[in-house]
Amino acid sequence: MNALKLLDTQGRVTPEDSRTHIRIPFELNTSCSRLNFRFEYAPKVLEDREQAVKLLQDSYEIYILPEQREQANARAERHLPLKNLITLSLDDAQGYRGACHRHDPLQELFVSQHEASPGLMAGEVAAGSWNVTLSLHCIVTDICDYRLQIWTPEEADA
Amino acid sequence: MKWIACELHTHTLHSDGRQTLQELAEGAAQLGFDAIALTDHNTMSGLVGKEEVEREYGLIIVPGMEWTTFYGHMVTIGLSEYADWREAMQQDIDRGIESVHRLGGIAGLAHPFRVGSPACTGCFWEYEIGDWNAVDYIEVWSGTFPSIQTDNHRAYRLWTDKLNEGYRIAATSGRDWHVQSDTDEPISVTYLEVGDAACAKQDGSDIQADIEKGASESEQESFAIPEVALIQALREGRASVTIGPLLSMVLEAAGESYRIGSVLPVTKMNESDEKMTATITAKLSVDFSVRPGQWSLAEQTFKLKLCSNLGEEIAVNVIDSTQQSNDTGTLHPKFETSIELPVLPTDLFRKWLRAELWGTVQGAHTRIAFTNAVYFESTAEGGAD
Ligand SMILES: [Zn+2]
Ligand SMILES: [Zn+2]
Repeated sequence: MNALKLLDTQGRVTPEDSRTHIRIPFELNTSCSRLNFRFEYAPKVLEDREQAVKLLQDSYEIYILPEQREQANARAERHLPLKNLITLSLDDAQGYRGACHRHDPLQELFVSQHEASPGLMAGEVAAGSWNVTLSLHCIVTDICDYRLQIWTPEEADA
Repeated sequence: MKWIACELHTHTLHSDGRQTLQELAEGAAQLGFDAIALTDHNTMSGLVGKEEVEREYGLIIVPGMEWTTFYGHMVTIGLSEYADWREAMQQDIDRGIESVHRLGGIAGLAHPFRVGSPACTGCFWEYEIGDWNAVDYIEVWSGTFPSIQTDNHRAYRLWTDKLNEGYRIAATSGRDWHVQSDTDEPISVTYLEVGDAACAKQDGSDIQADIEKGASESEQESFAIPEVALIQALREGRASVTIGPLLSMVLEAAGESYRIGSVLPVTKMNESDEKMTATITAKLSVDFSVRPGQWSLAEQTFKLKLCSNLGEEIAVNVIDSTQQSNDTGTLHPKFETSIELPVLPTDLFRKWLRAELWGTVQGAHTRIAFTNAVYFESTAEGGAD
């Protein structure tokens, strides 16, 4: 059985891309029973401990009152390791089909008429314009590479 | 009127929780909650099949979603459908709140002072709010044993500041519950007060369906309370938050009663008529019988305080009725008292008043419970809408 590959895209993001979305449109020419997604990004963790602590201390300047900052710096360990977070949300031509807000750096997802991966909404997989949105909540590593693949399990009608 | 025990901030594996809705509901029911709001991050897919879970555990599940954005987390509950969290810009969260209201929901600031990115992405509230009147509530207590956390102290202060500025904003607790695990830390409850009339007065097909469902398929009394009535209660600030006993307050003035969340009109007297100013009596109760077996406090004398924009106005001792109940076998230990509010000099105006219960919990001197505010409105100078 031939799968119909709809999209295979990759990209590289950096800390400056934090707090932005990447919209990835794709067309589904015919309605189908199921859509599959494989989304991955790496690295997940900022291994450089010194750099991580520096980032945390910078953020405490903003988020923690001066009188509590020293204590926060001493307890910075509780927030380690620092992680990149990219989440995926999905829209069909009719609107929102959910989001998968979790830390897994590899997510194999699907939607179909009666079932879907946790976070996504089951329902008709209708022909039309779809969108994946990658939300870059936080990129802490100097570079982070992502890849998104989308396919249907069926052969296309010739 | 009836107080409904609610947990207003929860997650399942539809976002980053490690529990199914079923496991969450079971845990909530075991802890004596009547209702939960499911507020998964950026999705409402976890609500599919909720009616069955509600029936199984006799628990109301209010639909919701936590907007998990780059500049803040916003809990939204009571929505009929999804509102898009991805459009929110740092300067125009007002539009986002408006979209939540348009769908029948209400919006609150979640854990506004929790450390933000990169430790907890978007967790610190960095949105500029144009109109604070649009904000329905602030989650001033986040997590377990919330009353001792410094970030919650800041949230509590923010709430107080906004009340002082004349805004009518409710305050809640939320565990931000991600996983079923036992804890020795006190668990907070937001009690919402639902009127008997509120259930009947509302219109709309969903509510009707809920009422029928509740009547025909569940023996649970609380189950018949439509979630819309809970949302309305929070919208109007009929909320009391606690890690133990239920604290409630009713103000009486000129023969009328004013419950938490309501507005007490104050006729401004001429300076010469100072003595004519109507007396206001606060009727307070601390109910130690709620959620029996689910919490405990060491034997002690608590402090009950009345606080307003003028600061702490009055404090009285509360005798530990829990101990009394052990001695006398009383089933419903309840401390009740009436306090007459001091008559203010003409140059001072009380904008709002709330009650707080203080005591020692696990060695820490802390707030144990607080009510939402009763608001005062001068006929001469109106407060914010
Ligand atoms: Zn949050
Ligand atoms: Zn949360």
